[in-house]
Amino acid sequence: MTDVALPTDERTDLDLISRWKAGEQRAATLLVERHASAVARFVASVGGRDDVEEVVQDTFVRAFASIDGFRGESSLRTWLFTIARRLVLDRRRATRRRREQVEVHESDAATEYDSLDGVVADETQRRLQSALKKLSPTQREVFVLRVSEGMSYAEIADTVGTTEGAARVHYHNAMRTIKELLDD
Amino acid sequence: MIDCPNGEVRDLLPDYLHDRLDSSARISVERHLAECAACRDELALLRDLRGTLQRTPHIDVASVAAAIPAYQPPVRKSWANGWRAAAAIAAIAIGGTSIALMGRAGKPTQVAQGPIATPAAPAPDVGVRGTAAAAPHTVTEPVTQPAPMVARAEPSVKPAPAPRGEELAIAGGTIADLSDGELSDLIGDLDSLDAVPSTDVESAESLLTGRHRGRHE
Repeated sequence: MTDVALPTDERTDLDLISRWKAGEQRAATLLVERHASAVARFVASVGGRDDVEEVVQDTFVRAFASIDGFRGESSLRTWLFTIARRLVLDRRRATRRRREQVEVHESDAATEYDSLDGVVADETQRRLQSALKKLSPTQREVFVLRVSEGMSYAEIADTVGTTEGAARVHYHNAMRTIKELLDD
Repeated sequence: MIDCPNGEVRDLLPDYLHDRLDSSARISVERHLAECAACRDELALLRDLRGTLQRTPHIDVASVAAAIPAYQPPVRKSWANGWRAAAAIAAIAIGGTSIALMGRAGKPTQVAQGPIATPAAPAPDVGVRGTAAAAPHTVTEPVTQPAPMVARAEPSVKPAPAPRGEELAIAGGTIADLSDGELSDLIGDLDSLDAVPSTDVESAESLLTGRHRGRHE
């Protein structure tokens, strides 16, 4: 991938990374400003809302610590989401172990998602959030990345660790589920 | 809510929502939207869902940024470092092997030589290569070499206790057979041995026995 083929945002990210590596700490702050909100939205949507800031901070610290492993093959945001997702899953597993619960299968894991509680604005919002909470974790991840972040299926596949085809299926299944729930 | 049968357009609606379509795809979607109520409803739903999902929790950007340390370039392993490490490993391996071999050589070794023994005589416990072949024809009294002869292999190892004279069979005789002068010469020879380890049993034997063989011949 050449610089010419990169969108402006990605060129800016790479430029800021270079500047940070050259010793300009302000460049790291700019990168955080560019992506922190999106990472926080994603974490809040698929993880717990209580420790969003902590996960976001861990995400950036880990990302910058291993910045030489970022090849620019995906966008920086996709890479950050991948790290954030891993942290969310690690925390979920740790919580599960602490509670000594039996492993929760994807199909019954919808109750884990209470991250949107407390932000209900109105009846429509409440119904939408209720529908989103009924999605399986993978459906929800894919749907959030597709609808909230506008990612392509290829980017989603990179982030979630699946194929483009599977991501597309998850998205459409999620959409169908939400429509059915809203129609009830 | 009805689903539009045009899956291709429905697949593009999130991209249209985020303005990620090129101009031709965008025009195509907009033409379809103008005619399809189901897709307009779906697009409206997507817009609401995005609004719901994009309620961002407050993030203190300054504190997140403050946690990021300065860049640390990766430590690259140079070829020189690699060779140094390899050389160190090789030296340790060779040294360890040598010490192990020397340690084995430093054990008291029984060497049997002498006149043909009776067939009933038990074969001595021969611990040094090259002497085993002589076992069936050896004396009944095994010879334990004086410690200094073999202690050359490991100077720091204490010499083994000197064998009793009557057990030392050298070229068919014992130390007791030596005259005072010969014994004195032998001790002098032993004292003159250098400290360099040698596992060459033959040369050690010849040093000890050459003179005495001549006496018996």
